[in-house]
Amino acid sequence: MDTSIKDFEAAIAELESVVKKLEEGDLPLEQSLALYERGVQLSRFCHARLEEAEHRIEVLTDRGELKPAPAALAADIGRGDRDRS
Amino acid sequence: MSDLFDLPFEEDEEESTIDSRQSIAAPSQSSPRIGETPQQRARLPTASEGGSTVSPHSPGSPQTPVDSGYPTAGGRLQTDDRRRLTPDDRLTTDDRRPTARVLSVTELNVRIRDLLETEFFEVWVEGELSNCRIWNTGHLYFTLKDTGAQMRGVIFRSALRYLKFKPGDGLRVIARGRVSVFEPKGEYQLVCEHMEPHGLGALQLAFDQLKKRLQAEGLFDAGRKRQLPALPRKIGIVTSLDGAAIRDIIKVLSRRYAKAHLVIRPTRVQGEGAALEIARAVRAIARLSGVDVVIVGRGGGSLEDLWAFNEEVVARAIAGSPVPIISAVGHESDVTIADFVADVRAPTPSAAAEIVVARQDEFRARIDRLADRLTAAARGRIHSLSRAVHVLGGRPALAGFPGRLAMRGRHAAELTHALARIARASLAVRHRQLQQLRRQLETLDLGRRLEGIRTRLVTADGRLTAATTRALHRSDARFRSCANRLDTLSPLAVLGRGYAVCWTADRTHIVRASTDVKAGDTVQVTLSSGELSCEVRSKT
Repeated sequence: MDTSIKDFEAAIAELESVVKKLEEGDLPLEQSLALYERGVQLSRFCHARLEEAEHRIEVLTDRGELKPAPAALAADIGRGDRDRS
Repeated sequence: MSDLFDLPFEEDEEESTIDSRQSIAAPSQSSPRIGETPQQRARLPTASEGGSTVSPHSPGSPQTPVDSGYPTAGGRLQTDDRRRLTPDDRLTTDDRRPTARVLSVTELNVRIRDLLETEFFEVWVEGELSNCRIWNTGHLYFTLKDTGAQMRGVIFRSALRYLKFKPGDGLRVIARGRVSVFEPKGEYQLVCEHMEPHGLGALQLAFDQLKKRLQAEGLFDAGRKRQLPALPRKIGIVTSLDGAAIRDIIKVLSRRYAKAHLVIRPTRVQGEGAALEIARAVRAIARLSGVDVVIVGRGGGSLEDLWAFNEEVVARAIAGSPVPIISAVGHESDVTIADFVADVRAPTPSAAAEIVVARQDEFRARIDRLADRLTAAARGRIHSLSRAVHVLGGRPALAGFPGRLAMRGRHAAELTHALARIARASLAVRHRQLQQLRRQLETLDLGRRLEGIRTRLVTADGRLTAATTRALHRSDARFRSCANRLDTLSPLAVLGRGYAVCWTADRTHIVRASTDVKAGDTVQVTLSSGELSCEVRSKT
């Protein structure tokens, strides 16, 4: 993941400004293409953040420790897929 | 001769009719009056003579009619036989003869039933309803209670129909009915025939009071409500691990293919001390690094079950949370104080999960729209630039200045080349992304909804490729025509008139004198059309 992108919300905001600049500005070719590439990078980052998130369940104990969720709960993950069919 | 259904009973009946509001509590289990019938001549073991005697009821004390009116099990049985209720109640046993017969449980229960059903044939009782449940049969079962005691009750469908209000948990009511006993379980209940509400229940009152107080403090103000994060990193959940809420949330996330990192802080959600536990859990999880939204809730239940979410400690913990809180308590119709304080109120735990997913969908759509605009804007830019190249190449004023035109031509060529290089590089990047995305999509097989995105990406990519290719072709053609025109203006044009140019084999020098080459060398001859590769046979 590109480290120059701070987070999801910042990425969306920057993507919006890139698109706006491209749409409005009578920019030189090099700059237009650089903006385009940046835009592609940003939209890719956002998609990745949305799609590549991990489905994970943890339990925070009384003592402040993180443990994996009980198997009974974890087993429910993905059950929805079967419900659908 | 003794008639056990004696004076007190009749007085009881009279009282019931005279003052129907008189509260009559159920007899305590330890001291039911023993009703003796002619069929059951058994005597209780008499532990002591001179037990309780009949005493008038004191209307102010609900316990009085039963406890003071009848002898205790161990006491001497009442012997006043002057009053009789029904022939069945008449006893012929000589109660002065001590007997020590031990009763079976069945016998005792039968006698208790006979006693209670006759005794409490019609009573009025006031108390608070709780655990109200309507069964499939349409009968409403409930618990009637006051601060000191409770009893079970039922109101059959036939009677329920005629009530002007909907009996519900926490409601204080006055009920009229009879007491009946279910012998197999030794349980008694009030079979209610009529019911009237009596003000509001204590819980309801507590709810209203706290709501008013917190509202006055401004804890429910719309201005306090915080935005949920666009894409939560970790979703904190405060609920019971074995409850329906957590399962419902997981089920919704799975069904919608939403990926989420959940951190559950298990807590009891009902019973004594649950509110404190919930408050502590909210504080603990909101402090956890990465948690940027917290769902607090539980599945449906009675008003008492949900009560913890109406307590002030929970409200304060929610109000004081550093991250936004979604409340998700019970069903749609259950509204708790927690709901008022939370940043977002979800009607149910499932709905809370839906809210999180819906926000993800919303952002996904927004990014797709931006990506579309991005592609369109870039395409537009390439179009306008290639038009500029065309205009430059075709400008007639430049025709008379071959040198400058050549310069311009080179510039145009460079521009076209740069355009092609950058566009190709960007296309290659895009192509790699597309391939990767395709692979991801195929591996994960995320289903219909994602296929929509894939189609959009593929279409957008195809359109971008086609548009860019078209633009490049156009630029290329313009450059070629430009170069052709340069050619016609160049000195080499004389070749068309039949001259040829002779080059050295490496094409670095023009052969101007025969001394420039030796016999056996190869020379290149440029004609008006095509070239010849020739060998020098001799020099003259």
